[in-house]
Amino acid sequence: MRLVKVIERLLAAIPIMLGVAVIVFVFMRMTPGDPVDIMMGQGGTVSEGEVERLRSEFNLDKPIHVQLGLFLSDLARGDLGNSFTKQQPVASLIGERLPATIELAFGSLFIGLLIAFPIGILSAVKQNSLLDRLSMGAAFLGISMPSFWLGIILILIFSVKLHWLPVQGRIDYDAGLQTVTGLYMLDSILTGNGPALISSLKHLILPSIALGSAVAAIVARVLRSSLLEILRSDYVKLARAKGAGETTVVMKHAVRNALIPTVTVVGLQVGVLLGGNMIVETVFSWPGLGRLVVEAIFNRDFPLVQGAVMVYAFIFVAANLVVDVLYTYLNPKIEM
Amino acid sequence: MRTYRLLLIAILLGVTLTLSACATPTPQVVKETVVVKETVVVKEEVQVEVTKVVEKEVEKVVEVTATPVPGRQTLIVGLAGIPDSFDPADHRSRLSETVLRNMFDGLVTRDTTSGVHLELAESATLVDPTTYEFKLRQGVKFHDGSEMTADDVVFTFNRIIQENMIEYPDPHTSPRKGLIAPLASVEKVDDYTVRFILSAPWPPAMQMFVHQQIVPKAYLESVGTQGFVAHPIGVGPFKFVEGQLDDQIVMERFADYWGGAPDLGPSGPACVSTAIFRVIPEASTRVAALLAGEVDIIQAVPPDLVDVLAQTPGIVVKTAAGTQPKWMELNVNQAPLDNKLVRQALNHLIDKELIIEHLYGGRAAALPGALSPFNNFADPSLQPYPYNPERAAELLAEAGIADSDGDGKYEWNGAPWAFVVDSLEEHRALAEAVVAQLQEAGIDAQLRLWEYSVVKPLLQAGERSAYLDDWGDSAFDPVGHMEAKWHGVEAGSPYGRGNFSGYNNARVNELIKAGETETDVDARHALYNEAQALIYDEAPAVFLILPEEVEASSARVQNWEPASDSRVNLHDVCLQ
Amino acid sequence: MTTSTDIRTQPAWRYLLDIRLRLWRRNLADFWAELRKHPVALIAGVVILIYILAALFAPQITAHDPERGSLRQRLIPPAWEEGGSWTYPLGTDGQGRDIYTRILFGARVSLAVGLLSVGISVIIGLALGAAAGYYRGRLDSILSRFADLLMAFPFLIFAIGVMAFMGPGFTNLILALTFKGWVEFFRLARGEVMAEKTREYVEAARVSGQSHTRIMLSEITPNIMQSIFVLATLRMGFMIVTEASLSFLGLGIQPPTPAWGSMVADGRNTLLNAWWVSTIPGLAIVFLVLAINLFGEGLRDILDPRLKIE
Repeated sequence: MRLVKVIERLLAAIPIMLGVAVIVFVFMRMTPGDPVDIMMGQGGTVSEGEVERLRSEFNLDKPIHVQLGLFLSDLARGDLGNSFTKQQPVASLIGERLPATIELAFGSLFIGLLIAFPIGILSAVKQNSLLDRLSMGAAFLGISMPSFWLGIILILIFSVKLHWLPVQGRIDYDAGLQTVTGLYMLDSILTGNGPALISSLKHLILPSIALGSAVAAIVARVLRSSLLEILRSDYVKLARAKGAGETTVVMKHAVRNALIPTVTVVGLQVGVLLGGNMIVETVFSWPGLGRLVVEAIFNRDFPLVQGAVMVYAFIFVAANLVVDVLYTYLNPKIEM
Repeated sequence: MRTYRLLLIAILLGVTLTLSACATPTPQVVKETVVVKETVVVKEEVQVEVTKVVEKEVEKVVEVTATPVPGRQTLIVGLAGIPDSFDPADHRSRLSETVLRNMFDGLVTRDTTSGVHLELAESATLVDPTTYEFKLRQGVKFHDGSEMTADDVVFTFNRIIQENMIEYPDPHTSPRKGLIAPLASVEKVDDYTVRFILSAPWPPAMQMFVHQQIVPKAYLESVGTQGFVAHPIGVGPFKFVEGQLDDQIVMERFADYWGGAPDLGPSGPACVSTAIFRVIPEASTRVAALLAGEVDIIQAVPPDLVDVLAQTPGIVVKTAAGTQPKWMELNVNQAPLDNKLVRQALNHLIDKELIIEHLYGGRAAALPGALSPFNNFADPSLQPYPYNPERAAELLAEAGIADSDGDGKYEWNGAPWAFVVDSLEEHRALAEAVVAQLQEAGIDAQLRLWEYSVVKPLLQAGERSAYLDDWGDSAFDPVGHMEAKWHGVEAGSPYGRGNFSGYNNARVNELIKAGETETDVDARHALYNEAQALIYDEAPAVFLILPEEVEASSARVQNWEPASDSRVNLHDVCLQ
Repeated sequence: MTTSTDIRTQPAWRYLLDIRLRLWRRNLADFWAELRKHPVALIAGVVILIYILAALFAPQITAHDPERGSLRQRLIPPAWEEGGSWTYPLGTDGQGRDIYTRILFGARVSLAVGLLSVGISVIIGLALGAAAGYYRGRLDSILSRFADLLMAFPFLIFAIGVMAFMGPGFTNLILALTFKGWVEFFRLARGEVMAEKTREYVEAARVSGQSHTRIMLSEITPNIMQSIFVLATLRMGFMIVTEASLSFLGLGIQPPTPAWGSMVADGRNTLLNAWWVSTIPGLAIVFLVLAINLFGEGLRDILDPRLKIE
């Protein structure tokens, strides 16, 4: 794919991000719930003046269209605004948490693929056998249970009972990791910190299983059905006729071709994993973006929700783009 | 095929069984609390105006210095929520203070059982009804080595009470201003003396000064608020190392700590070398982290797990009096709830003792009216409304509500008596139990859970009938609490910031207002007692319960006590 | 595909009904034969049927009230555990309510959540998707832009936002799930219709003078229903699980209505001392969603000619 096309596609993300932000902006201001009320809590006295002052600080006393104008003009300058409750710029809040979310998404994707690939290939090769049914049933197990429930059960078994893996957090406090990118495993490798690598890996496993097991089913079934289709194609029959061994046929010819539809699904799942992890993040006290957004929704922290949703929209567009790039790589016949 | 299904069931059952296996720890006799009593020191009353109803005799462990013991010297606390800020002047959340109190000290502090004590102030004098004079301790060092003087105190309070003093991220006024609203100005007398000028006499002043912590003027002026929240500095027993508010906050022992409130606990530097606050909002995860030995202290133990934890070897459960009384406010402007008899009847229909025994495992108190029984001005002569369905039936009959067709349900105005009880997710269990008891009694009550920000406008518009919630009371003083909940709203709608019943009694209003500025303790008691008696009788709410604060720690943690205001004082805590 | 002339004179709803009947008649024998070759789907179908029966006859098979209990009877273990009794075969929850009864009545809620949210999504998605794919032009580009915009919201964030602003409750839950749920059916239907439109039978129908609406309803729709149906089964499982996820955040169905998701979420704090409160409804969800998914997967094996068992 040519670079120009990639840039073009990235630019196409802008109207989507903007549209998403405006929808959230209008939606949040039309619905009940006053951020100032929530901020003040119960303690002490709150004077009318104090409430008014906070309102005007947040521009909540102005008509919606004026607020929207202010928001858009800030946005044009690249300013996402400041969080109501956290007294910090939204961009820095999101920036601090994004690496944790990305790390978890990739951990989950890895676990998902680790389960999906053997299952998908085996069940296609042994279609309708007991193995096929068993393994597909197992693959579907992950998608059939609420992730928080799976997470808590994993914690109780592997952390509380067996003491194999930690309950919560991203890394041990005394691992002495020097952060570079915020992706702890990558940072451990970059700084050559072995204990930190082991520690962050151990912390990543359980949340990745809780989140990634749902991906396994989706990927496995796509892989299985595309493999089934390909294994019957003339192309594979030809390879067989040429006397290639079954393993070679499957691994070399069929799987590569089956990867094309699989990659599409995987790409979409990356978006889902990045935007659907708030529950697993809460269960494992994973300091990521999802938890931050849910908290912001409950606190009516308008700027934070707007900013985060724009980030999600960007991730979604970017994931689609990556899928398309991979597509052309796997199948050079396709032009964008 | 059968193999397949059997295997699947086997897997699932395996999960279940493993769970149930790890669910039942072998019961063992373990002492619930570990309190080492060496010397008993009777605390002397230091406060000027502030008195505190002391629940029990104050017994204190006093050591000359808290000597660190070998072993892992890192103490990890599992927090139940997310702090808002590293700036003691820029938040309005209890949890932020919980953390910040370990890095910052105030002029005064509070102990759960014995009230307000001097901290950075050496003495406090009420010069006249509206002027406090504080003498500061000398030689108190900030974490950067500079000494705390009157300038820092004046700066700290001006930063709170003056407009737009916090410049990051946008210039704004401290959200804590409202907590010390009567404070008009702060003056430096000399390097170690400051005067606080109030706009009117303010009896709970000392209780409220507990919630403000001193920040270093010079440091803040040089790095600004942005620099300050990136690396906060105070005079507290721990200094900031690193941290992110919604992940973990790491602090280490401040070797030059001035010692801490002389009345309370051991003095000298903190016992543990490193203290970490970890945010673990999910209760089941918090408990699991404690069981797995990843954290040493956890907040907010779910009532159902108290017994499990207490029976687990190596785990200690401790409680403190709660500060979040719960009640169901009744809309006094809506028939038939506008009738006092009906409201009294509802109070008689809720079996608080049953709820306390079964839902809270006995770890709650029934509310004897408008104030928490632990409030300094709670009237001890008031007893909670007893559970008495017969009395309720009489009262209801008097108000024209009776089971006229004998179907076991109350009728009012010719139709079954029905209303909706509104509440929030956090009170789900209690609300479900209350509604079930109302239904049991023959009232067609339905439960509706809301998000606070959504239901609040409806409450303030007087559109709801019954609302079950709590209202914090951590200062142990009626001010703020009484005014918000039971004082009539003068302007506009009869419903206010915290007054969702629309209750408005001229005499009660008068009493509450008088209590706010009355400086004579006995006279103040008299005022509040009269107000409480009136509110008790008129019952603008069903007075429910006050749950205890339940916290748990590993048995390695020594000298730790949970606090009512959820403060976690790590200065005194040691690890074994 | 051929179309009998009498159908053309009937109102549109009869068309759809007729199409279904024709499909059924034509395929039922085939389908049954195929299904018997696919025992997993068969068993899954039976499991789903049991769930449906349990939901329908819940009041007949239990004596307890699903919404009322007594605090004196709270957290009683299942009958086979020590301290359990057959009065409460699966034990009681934190409010002293019978879990067995709540599971039965909860099946109504969970099945209704799955069927309604997916059903509405399919109707909206199919109608708009077919229209967009068939007519293309301005309509298509507006709808597709809008769909892209909605796709860019993560599903769960979207649902959480909607629920947080509208409050918990059954109707709001269905709305929250369908607001974005229709988009996937829209995209699928649009793509399939675009592909089908180029096929010969559509050309033939055009030439024979059928209107666009008729072609869409009677010619194209039956041919894309198979893939819609397979996607629908998958989404149904997802919606049931999502109800549980939302309950975890306190955004599910109003108590005391028994919904499996809120039962699991409610009991998670007592997993250590009363495992049954959360685990039993959790298993109810797992078995149902697993059955729906495996049924859908089997269905695809059977319906998709490319995957035909040789």
